[in-house]
Formats: sequence, structure tokens, C-alpha cells
Amino acid sequence: MDISSWDGTLSSSDFCLAAHAFTEKWKRINPVLPPWSWVPQAKITMVEGYLSLENMCILRSCEVQSYSHDVRYFDFHIVYSASYRVPVLYFRTYSSDGQPLLLEDIEKELPGKSTNVLMESKWTFITQEEHPYLNRPWYKLHPCGTSEWMKLLFLTDPSLGVSQGVPVELYLSSWISMVGQAVGLKVPLEMFNKRKE
Amino acid sequence: MASDSPSSARKVVVHLRATGDAPILKQAKFKIPGTDKFAKVIEFLRRQLHRDTLFVYVNSAFSPNPDELVIDLYNNFGFDGKLVVNYACSMAWG
Repeated sequence: MDISSWDGTLSSSDFCLAAHAFTEKWKRINPVLPPWSWVPQAKITMVEGYLSLENMCILRSCEVQSYSHDVRYFDFHIVYSASYRVPVLYFRTYSSDGQPLLLEDIEKELPGKSTNVLMESKWTFITQEEHPYLNRPWYKLHPCGTSEWMKLLFLTDPSLGVSQGVPVELYLSSWISMVGQAVGLKVPLEMFNKRKE
Repeated sequence: MASDSPSSARKVVVHLRATGDAPILKQAKFKIPGTDKFAKVIEFLRRQLHRDTLFVYVNSAFSPNPDELVIDLYNNFGFDGKLVVNYACSMAWG
């Protein structure tokens, strides 16, 4: 499929491809950061899975005085949504003593809230619901706007010619540049560098 | 503009490009110190467009974190002596 008629979504098998390409690149570029790992979920007809990055430590900014110098831990899971045909970010966050944090606390501390376009544009919002594979409530960034902005990101990249297909292996890097901003996860610029490879 | 030696006073030329049905700016090119954060570009766009909800991204298909330095973005993703920053407005919900 050429990129001009792409709707911004991925098939389940493309998600697996994208996930493996993303994990490899992340490991190669960030040997210091914790790696993403693929957690397979065997089904009858095919292997599904999700990406997991746990115990990710994110320092809070010092703007909010009462939380200055405090450390937050995040567990991130990237799970494929069959209904929206896009990846979905599930997360939970807790303080250094293991206490889970409430959504109000998280939202207060989301970095640069005034510049957080993803949240303010209403292209996503945070909800709490049961993790698709682990029977526990996790926070989730709603996927409803994902295909729209993914399409926009890829359509205006001049290095992706019209005759080329959708670069599935680049999907998750681009995706995470957006959703990462909503939760304070910074993505190193090298993840987006196609030219230098 | 092109120079091999890094200079902390070096300015980066930013070219703002409207995509979708976003309004085109009269002043679409400006210079910004390389040591400024990308947040400054976002703020400039918001002031010019009088909108809070903007989707801002660069070629190479990603949206830069507002904390990134403009000079780093230019060094990695600039070409022809400028950094092209695309913007789109919030789309209808649903």
C-alpha cells in the first residue's frame, strides 16, 4: 500500500514487526536505558504479544515544590488494539516506596502541561481500565486519535516517497515520540534518525 | 549559515510549514538561538496562531519533546540551512 492512501493503522502482524524493529533500535541506541522486552501471549492461531518497559525512572521537575527531587517509577506496556488497529500505551506509576500514584497526582506533574499538545488537543486522554492481558487496572492513553496523527507524521516526511510502502519498522519510534510526551517519557533523537543508518 | 564549528551564539533558521487546513503564517521563517528549547518554537506558533491546541512535528516523522534544544534538532534533522517544523491544528473529535 502506498503511503498516500494509508489510514494510519497497523495490522496485528505489522505491529509485531514494528515492535521487534523498535526494540532492536532502542537497545542499539540506548545501551544505558532499560530495554523494552516483548512479552508473548500465545493464542491458538498466532502469537500475539506486547512490549514492556518496567521500573523506568523519571525524575520530576522542580517546578512543583512539594515534589522537588522526587523520583517516579513507571511501568509502560505497548499493547496492540485490534479494534483501533493501533498501539496503545498502558502505564502505571509509583513513588520510590512502591506506593501507586493516583491519576490526579500524575496529571499535576505531567511535564510542561501547557506545552503538552497531545493532551490538550483532545486527541487522547487518560483512562483507567483493566489491562488486556493482566487482570489489573492500568492507566491507558486512549487510542482514538492515533491513526490521525500517525498518518500526518508519515505523510509529510519527504524521505518517504509515494511509491514506497508504509515503513512499518519506523512506526513505533514515531508513535512513541507523541505518546511519550504525554507521560514524560523522553525519546532520544537518534531513534528518529533514518539518514545516518 | 552553515558552519562546522559549534557556537553557543549560533542561531538556527526555523521554517514553519502549515499542513492540513492549518492557517499559513505571514511570518513563517525566523531565527532562534540554538540553545533555546523547542518549547520556544511551540510557544511562538501558539502566539502567532492564537491557538493552544497544535500538533507540531518535524520531517523524519516525529514530534520533538519541548525540552529538546533547537541546535540538536537542526544538527540531526535540518537541511538546506534550516529546520522545517510542520504544524497542524486540532482535528474534529471522533
